Amino acid sequence: MAEAATDGAAPETPVTLIDCDVHPYLKRADELREYLREPWRSRTIPSRRQIYLPPGDGRRLDALPEDGSPAGSDPKLVEKQVLQGIGADYVVLIPSSSISIIPDPVFAAEVAQAWNDWQIDTWLGKYNPHGRFKSSIVIAPQNPERAVQEIERLAGHPHLVQVLVGSSASAAYGKRQYHPIWEAAARHNLPAALHVESPVGPTPPSPLGYPTYFLEFHTLYPTIYMTHLVSLIAEGVFEKYPDFKFVFVEGGSAWLAPIMWRMDKDWRGARAEVPWLKRPPSGYLRDHIRFSTQPIEEPANPRHLLQIFEMMHAERVLMFASDYPHWDFDDPKRAFPPMPAALQRRIFCENARELYNLPATRPVDVLDSKPLSVKAKTVGSTW
Amino acid sequence: MGRFVVCKVSELPPGGRRIVRVNGREIGVFNVKGRYYALSNLCPHQSAPLCLGELTGLTVSNEPGEIEWTREGEILRCPWHGWEFDIISGRTVFQSRNRVKTYDVRVEKESLGRLREGVETYPVTVEDEVVILEY
Repeated sequence: MAEAATDGAAPETPVTLIDCDVHPYLKRADELREYLREPWRSRTIPSRRQIYLPPGDGRRLDALPEDGSPAGSDPKLVEKQVLQGIGADYVVLIPSSSISIIPDPVFAAEVAQAWNDWQIDTWLGKYNPHGRFKSSIVIAPQNPERAVQEIERLAGHPHLVQVLVGSSASAAYGKRQYHPIWEAAARHNLPAALHVESPVGPTPPSPLGYPTYFLEFHTLYPTIYMTHLVSLIAEGVFEKYPDFKFVFVEGGSAWLAPIMWRMDKDWRGARAEVPWLKRPPSGYLRDHIRFSTQPIEEPANPRHLLQIFEMMHAERVLMFASDYPHWDFDDPKRAFPPMPAALQRRIFCENARELYNLPATRPVDVLDSKPLSVKAKTVGSTW
Repeated sequence: MGRFVVCKVSELPPGGRRIVRVNGREIGVFNVKGRYYALSNLCPHQSAPLCLGELTGLTVSNEPGEIEWTREGEILRCPWHGWEFDIISGRTVFQSRNRVKTYDVRVEKESLGRLREGVETYPVTVEDEVVILEY
């Protein structure tokens, strides 16, 4: 609730909800072209290849702007449905760039740069008078040298709060070829975030190739996350860069505790080959790893989820995400079982606030008092 | 039980839908091939606006790999998470305890005077047939 300022400063309101996964879309595919230089500008930019069939073609059907532009491309509708709709004080944007599918590492780096210049102009610039949109530095991990340059170019931007990579990669992210990227991120106090990308990329979306159905793809892609997680810990990335933090976005989290138990047990016998690990593998969790909640697992008995939260140290590790405007959007008021207030505050706000250095209060703005009149496109023939 | 005049029959042709607000609750009224159905516009899963979803059919199968298309237009799919609801019973097509509230819909020839007795009225002429929601 808004608090009256007593000293003449602008009134502030407490920050209570941070949404760690909202996707800003281009209004039209060629919008990105304006941010590319030749010879890249005249080329067709490889884009997401959708070979599986998500419900609703992947988006919330009530998130389509009235003018026919793509879901997630109208900042007013995002303000209405996310900032006002679920009451998010800040959102962390994750551009759906599908950079990892571009085989040419130079073209990939150019496209990453274009995404960043585009979002700095739009979502972090003219769309962002309230400063409540934060976002991620898009990099091409297939070109580590250029990725480092991009981090150096953009670190310090007030609204770019992390470095973004896709889940699909030619090697697990603990491998040494990626260390310069993590070094640069850590040096600038930026966490790295991993988000699922197009199922068509440098490696198939499951360890056994391309599953037959979307159901399988969507259930299984966290196996890629597991691979990156175990690799990052085993290769000593968090010993090498003690301030570095890594965020796993949209891979669920209920699998986290069991995989850590397994790795801890194996480490007791196999420690000798990885002596740089000074702690059991799970010891790196609370200090270095964060998970976003969405898509939250929904066990038949909701209390089981709370037990899982306890096992994974959710009070330190877990951060709320809605995944707006996608089909598997989670509403903070409806997606979770009743939680102790202190735990809910950690998950909904405090873990993300600490990770991204966001303030405990924010200035009250026009969105706090005035419902936006922007409407989503309606469906049906007699509206 | 209350009665709510949704619209004239001519305003809700087959394939059409309307969402009306009755006593503070949103209810979607559908015309599927000349039959009328009404469901709460609140998905029991995460409270999405269910009646904005796609009207579709039901895939059924006798053995893996075999697929048949049935009940076209009788399945309402949630616009968020894609859950399928039987528009007649309000139940999910998969086994669950989730059920969306359904309402009876009738078509009647109504006179304006009688409609005024109810909470809600809708301007119709004597000879109009209207879609009436019972709630």
